[in-house]
This record gives sequence, C-alpha cells and structure tokens, in this order.
Amino acid sequence: MGTARYIARRLIFSLCLILGVSVILFAMINAIGNPVEVLLAERPGITEEMIQAVTEYYGLNGSVTDRYFTWIWALLRLDFGTSIIYNLPVSEMLVTYGLETLKIQVPAILIALLVSVLISVLAATRQYSRVDFGVIASAMVGHSMPGFLLGIVLILIFSYSLGILPSYGAYSTRNPLWGSDVADALWHMVLPVGMLVFFNCATLTLLLRSSLVDVLRQDFITAARASGLPERRVVFGHALRNAFIPVLTYLGILFGLMLGTAPVTETVFTWPGLGALYIMAIQQLDYPLIMGATMVITVMLVTATLLTDIAYVAIDPRIRLG
Amino acid sequence: MSDATLPAIAAPRQRAPGIWRQSWYRFRRNRAGLIGLAMVTLVVLVALLAPFAAPFAPDDTSAMLRGAARRAPSALHWLGTDRNGYDVFTRMIYGARTALAVGLGAMIIASVIGVIIGGIAGYAGGMVDELLMRFAEFFMVIPVFVVILAVVRLFGIVVVGTWLEDIPNLNLMTIIVLLGCFEWPPIARMARAEFLRLRNSEFVEAAHCIGSSRRDILLRHILPNAMPPLIVLVALGIGGAILAETMVSFLGFGDPRAVSWGQSLYFNYEALKVAPWAVLSPGAALFVTVLGFNLLADGLTDAFNPRTRQ
Amino acid sequence: MLSTLAPASSPPVVAAPAPLLQVRDLRVHFHTREGVVRAVDGVDYHVNPAETLGIVGESGSGKTVSSLATLRLVPPPARMAGGQILFEGQDLLAKKPAEMAALRGRRIAMIFQNPATSLNPIYSIGAQLGEILMWHEKASRAEADARVVELLGLVGISDPGARLRQFPHELSGGMKQRVGIARALLCNPSLVLADEPTTALDVTIQAQILELLADLQKRFRMSMVLVTHDMGVVARMASRITVMYAGRVCESADAATIFNAPRHPYTRALLESMPRIDHSYTGAARRPLPTIAGRPPNLLNPPPGCRFHDRCPEAAPECRRLLPLETPVGPGHTVSCLKRGSEGIAA
Repeated sequence: MGTARYIARRLIFSLCLILGVSVILFAMINAIGNPVEVLLAERPGITEEMIQAVTEYYGLNGSVTDRYFTWIWALLRLDFGTSIIYNLPVSEMLVTYGLETLKIQVPAILIALLVSVLISVLAATRQYSRVDFGVIASAMVGHSMPGFLLGIVLILIFSYSLGILPSYGAYSTRNPLWGSDVADALWHMVLPVGMLVFFNCATLTLLLRSSLVDVLRQDFITAARASGLPERRVVFGHALRNAFIPVLTYLGILFGLMLGTAPVTETVFTWPGLGALYIMAIQQLDYPLIMGATMVITVMLVTATLLTDIAYVAIDPRIRLG
Repeated sequence: MSDATLPAIAAPRQRAPGIWRQSWYRFRRNRAGLIGLAMVTLVVLVALLAPFAAPFAPDDTSAMLRGAARRAPSALHWLGTDRNGYDVFTRMIYGARTALAVGLGAMIIASVIGVIIGGIAGYAGGMVDELLMRFAEFFMVIPVFVVILAVVRLFGIVVVGTWLEDIPNLNLMTIIVLLGCFEWPPIARMARAEFLRLRNSEFVEAAHCIGSSRRDILLRHILPNAMPPLIVLVALGIGGAILAETMVSFLGFGDPRAVSWGQSLYFNYEALKVAPWAVLSPGAALFVTVLGFNLLADGLTDAFNPRTRQ
Repeated sequence: MLSTLAPASSPPVVAAPAPLLQVRDLRVHFHTREGVVRAVDGVDYHVNPAETLGIVGESGSGKTVSSLATLRLVPPPARMAGGQILFEGQDLLAKKPAEMAALRGRRIAMIFQNPATSLNPIYSIGAQLGEILMWHEKASRAEADARVVELLGLVGISDPGARLRQFPHELSGGMKQRVGIARALLCNPSLVLADEPTTALDVTIQAQILELLADLQKRFRMSMVLVTHDMGVVARMASRITVMYAGRVCESADAATIFNAPRHPYTRALLESMPRIDHSYTGAARRPLPTIAGRPPNLLNPPPGCRFHDRCPEAAPECRRLLPLETPVGPGHTVSCLKRGSEGIAA
C-alpha cells in the first residue's frame, strides 16, 4: 500500500474517531440530565413558562438524535453556537483563549524537547556514571512531581520570596514591563513555561535516555564507529534517530493534550487560556462552551495521533503500511 | 504487592525458583525499586494507622475558635493550621486513605475491564480482536481529564434530591468510577498482546493436548503468565489515578466532604502567600506517593524483564 | 591506498615480513558488579601482510573482544587493561581518539557477526555506505554512490544501482552480509577483521560468503583476521591459526601444522570433536563424537595455573599451579603448555 493511501485511510479513521467521540460525549452529557433542567436547577422559583422559553431558545425541543444531528451539522460548519454566559460566539472565544494556551504550551514542548535531547545524550553516552545516575534520579523525581505543585513552588520562590516574576495573568493590567507589551508578555510567560518545560523535560528525558541506552548497545552503532564515523555523527545521526522511534508516541500525546492539560496549569498561574475558560464554562454550566471546547480538545488529540502515525512512517522504513 | 507474599506464593509448589521468586530476587537488588516499595509501604501504613498517627481528629477545627487558623508550624501543630483551622498534619495523614482508595478503586475497575476486553481480543483474534481494539482506540482519544471535570460537575447537580444523594462520598465514587472507566485501554492493549503471545505458546498447546478446559487454560495457564507486565501498568496507574483525583479536587470539582490532598490544596491555594505550609504539605504527600508508585513500577519492570538490565 | 600494501613478492623468504598487525600481551577486563572479569588476559598474535589469520575458540574465549580491542571499541563495562597493538609498527593504544577514528573504516575495517543487527535499520544502503566514503575520502554524493554501486557489484549483489535506495529489512540475510562486506571494503583497508562472519547465516549461504571473502582477500591482497568457533571455516580460509581458550592463547601455527601436528591438548581435543565425513556416527559401526568434558572456567575467578587444566587429560600437579607462557616449538609454531616445555609463572 502506498504512503498516500495509508495516510488517506488513517485520515478517514481519524474522522470516524472524532465522530465517535462526539456521540459518546453527547450521549453522556444528555444521559446525565436534560440541559435545561440542569441549567435551571440552581435557580429557585422557576416556572414552567421559563423552562419552555429556555428550551425554545436553545432549540432543545427535538429528540436526542435530532439534537445530535443539529449540533454535529453546525459543528461541521464550524458553528459552535453562542456562549450562554458571555453571549459571544463560542468559536471566537475558543480561538482567542486557545491561542493564549498555545503561547505557553508550544514553546514549552519545543524547549523541553531540545533540552531533553541534550541531557539524554549526555547521560546515555556515560551510562552508569555519576552524571547518568544523577540524570535518571532527577528525571524520575521531576516526572513524579505533580506539575501544579512545581508551579506552586516556583511562585513561592520567584514571585513571593524574590518578587522578580509575576505569579498570575498573561499581561500587566497597567504599566507593562519596560513600557513594552512584548517584553511584558514574555515576562509573564517565564513561570508557566518554566514549569511546563521542567515537567515535560523530565518525562521525555526518562524515555529518551533509556531508549538511547538500548540503541547505543546495538551492533550497528559499533559498526558505525568501526567505520570511523565521528562520535558526534554516530550519536546524533545513527543512535538518536533510532532512539526517537519509541518516544514519538509520547511526543504525540504531549502535543495532543496541550489543551487537555491546560486547566491545571492555567489555574495555578491564573492564565487566561482555554483551560481556565473551560473551568469557568463548567462552573457556570455553559453548555455550548463545554461541548465546543471538549470537541476542540478531542480534535487536537486525534490530529496529534494521526501526525504521530505519519511520523512513524516517515522515520521508520520498517513499518508496514496497512 | 508486599515483599512477604511474593516468594510465599511460589515456594511450596515449585522446586526451581518460579517466575515470581526469580523476579523477587532481581527486584531485591534494584535500589530504585526498593525505595519505591518503602515509600508505598509508608503510605499504606500511614493510611491504615491514621487514627493512631494523627494528633487531631480530621474534622477538628478548634484552632479556628482559638483564633489560631493559618498558624505556622509549631509544637502543637507540627505542620501548622490551614485557613479553616484544620491541623495540616492530620489532614495530610487522613488524605492517604482517600488517595489509596482512589488509586486502588480506579485501577481495580480499569484492570477488570481491561483484562476482560484485552483478553477476549487477544484470545479470540480475528474480527472480535479488530472490533474491540478499535473500540479501545475511541477511549484513547477522549480527553479524559476534561471530560471527568464536566461529568463530575453535571452529575453533582442532577443527583440533588434523588436517592443517589444519600450515598456517602458520592462525588468521590463518581471520580473513581470515571477514572476506572477511562483508564482501561492501556491495560487492555497489554493484556491483548500477552494473551496473543501466550495463546500460541507451547505450554498452552500442551494444555490443549491434555484436554484442559478453555476456562482452565485462560485462568490457570494464560492469565498468571500475563500478569507481570499488567502489574507494572497497574502500579503506574495507581499513581496516575491518585494524581488525577488530586487535580480534579484542586480545580474545585472534588468531593467537599472527603478529606483528600486535592481538597486541602483547593481550599488553601488562595491563601498560598499567607500559609504556604497548608499547600506544600499535601503537595509533598502526593509527590511521595506518586514517586513511590513510579519507582515501584520501574523496579518491577526490571525485575520481570531481566534483559533490560545488564 | 593499494600502494601501502606489501608488494606481491616471491613466497617464503628467510626473514619473515614485518607483520602488519602485532598484538602483544593484550588485556581486556570487564568491570562488573560482581568483580573484574578477565575476558582477554595476556594475548599475543600477529598478522602478516596479505594473509588470513584464523582465531579459533569457543564462545567466551575472548576472541571477539580482542578483535574489537584492535579498533579500541570494547563496549563498556569492558576496559583495555594493558598490552600493545602495533599496526604498521605504531601502537594503536597510544593514538589520540581522532587519529584512531581516522584509521577505522579506512585502514582497518570490520565485518560483523549478525548482518541483521549490524546495519542501521532506518537508513538506506546507499545512505549508510555513502556516508562513510563522504567522511573518509571527502567524496561527493555522486562519487560515493558510484563507488558503493561498484562495491555492491563486487560482492555479488545483483542490480546494485537499485539496492542503493533499499533498506536493510528489504534484503535477505546473505544479502545483508554482502552489504556488510562491501561496507568494510569501501576504503580499501589493509586489514579486515571478520568476526564470525557466517555464523548467523544459512549453511548454503555460509559457503558462498566464505568463498567471496577468500576471493576478495586475494584480489585486494589485504590481511584478514577471521574470528570463528568453527574449525571447518578456518581450515578452508586461514593460512595461520591462533587457538584461544579462556582469554589466553593456547597455540599458534600455520594451518597445516595446526591440523596435522597440533601440540596443545586443547587444540587436539578441539580437532577430535569435529565431525568427520569418513566416520559414521549412526548405524552399527557408529562411534560417539568425542567431546571435551567439563566447561570453560569462570573468568571472574579463573582457577590458578593453566586455564585448561581441569579439562585437560594430561594435567599434572604443576599445571594447577603455574600459568604456562607461549613458547616456540617449531618454525612459526608456539604453544603454551607446561607439558610441551613452556615456562610457567605462578599466577
């Protein structure tokens, strides 16, 4: 099977996954209770007319299947509906807040990737040395350290004790740093990005180092050395590319769950991103926003899985397409 | 798994050291694994002995009445008091019970679902395998964490006024069940791979030949041999589930009536600047627990897989 | 490159030619958690220009490690613990890492035991062979490709142009080993170390590969060290043979002497344990295939005295005490055995 056909097949399966998840989500939310009743549950003294009016307003009259198809058809046209609490188009809000999330998550993953490659090479080429042991131990500790706890420690140190970095928000409300909006934005990014880098880096290093140790033990590495290739090329050209293969899956999950793990990060740093928006939507029972955000997060995860599959084909010629 | 039971299971029946005993010999030489085992044992002991270990009752807010809320660590309150007047040390100790209940509960549910689905897929093969594994893939792309947040919140509203409300710690139960229902796919995948491998192994063929029933083959020949990698996943999963429950609670969707580390974090995060000990203590307890389970899983991987270590 | 080889001159000269490779008192130790394993413990051998030296021994006798040591590529936790490796008169162990790297693949090349694992699975044949040429000879991509195609043809690979873009998993085991041989010959090395080059292959392929190696060795007048546990392989390939046991050399001589007049008890036992076509091992007139009783010593705590004493039919009390040194017993023939007149040292 050709590469193009393989990608096409995975693409179709990915669409099926997204549709499937949308069914599960919709069914689950509706199984829990009628949205209108849930919405009005915390408001005492509601009348039958009010329920009627709200039902009518949100088009909740039809059967569950009708409503599902109405919803999914709107989604396909990128119409996510209107937020109940903010009265803004959900799609617009998702983009605005989503970009704030990506602003800290993407750099964090890229920096973590770079750092973990360097650390893993350093450790794996000195297997069983003190450096290696130190790297394993600290990576294990970092990997087990809950991200938010690390964030809290960083805030305590850099914001409360030293007072050099802001503990919340993405921008200063007034008086940006050095009068520059860009500098101010970067200044606010330091702590959340730092926390994410540390956390991602620990797990990536743990995986990459052990994979690299395995690869460096292989015959073809000895063969590359015996051919006189310089150590730099043997490690970075021959070993690292092979060592990356088992790490790809995790890297895919890291990218795919950027939005999914955002609620915790953004609560710790009061960051105005999609995660914080999602928490708000759940607290306020903003159905269109909850459903829209969940679908966007799902699509992100499915896309990352698809890209991981394609990356495997690109990096490993042994993979049989099918 | 405790150090005492491992060799005892294998000892009476086999003369040559069995897989469990051999694994235990290898595990014993693994420093990281032993540290993990020690940490997990500590957490389990603390949870079991909480009423004896804790200096106060978990719901004792008398410090508040004495005007001693948010006090720094002292001889009376070893880790200080929080904004509600609880003794931080006491809440930390009782939190271990909730944490272990969540971790074990969620992973028992996940293991049962995972082993059944993965086992059937691996043993049956063919169309059944294909369908079940595609089904598992659906669950793998559901953003579990955000879905749990939404479901816990909505469910909490719906049950008001129904009989369900009378279930103690309903909210916590919901979280446990949801974690269990979403965390099974990795276990199912591993179980499938193991069942597939063992189904074609020679000793299973031999069991077929001597006329063992299918039930016997599955439960007495395949399942015990498929256990090692599954145990590693479960150990990792317990840590993961505890972490997930803490984060759900930290975000404010946890069980307000449960004494959990996540609840402490949620209630005290606002006061981080004034009373950091009330946040750091449950955080440290969570860290030790998760690290313990991760190290334990790491040690078990090496013990079950001798070739990965020289 | 070829000019550095010894010219094809008249056969047996009185003064032996200066050896291309001379290994003296080589020691390689593995530092394990349990202690120091002396995998290679004072080994001497030499390889003359344009000849094939066979190093024979059972697994664990240190033969593979000593060939890796020649390239200074012993894997951790192994470490070079002493000795000299003279290549063209220069001690390789005294060279700087960069100088050593410049020799590898260019002057000294290696053929590996398992072709399935010794090629990088994610690079095409053309890419991984071409890279070596581009590095050593500063060749351009096109030049490298042309040379790789030429060599693939030379090692008997059909349609070499198309193979450039193929990946190792698309080739059969024998094909992969041919690629491995082509890789070793890319830069016209004067010394090729072949570590059990046929062990991982089917019997029918083994013969083809051995024939190819013998042919190439003659054609390029290169020296070859053939490491194997198979007496049959050295019999058809090697002009001289060194027999190793438990990290030490038992006996070295030209091939004819080893097969016709072996002196060391281990060499004799080894030869006797070879199945012979003129003997019957089944049927009425069968006789058992002789084996060497016992097993090689644990090199973590080697027994004192001769390493072979507890399996040796001729062992005398002093064999348990004294370690025999290599002693000449004929022209080009050395033996380490107290019963053959070797000097012994307490060790």
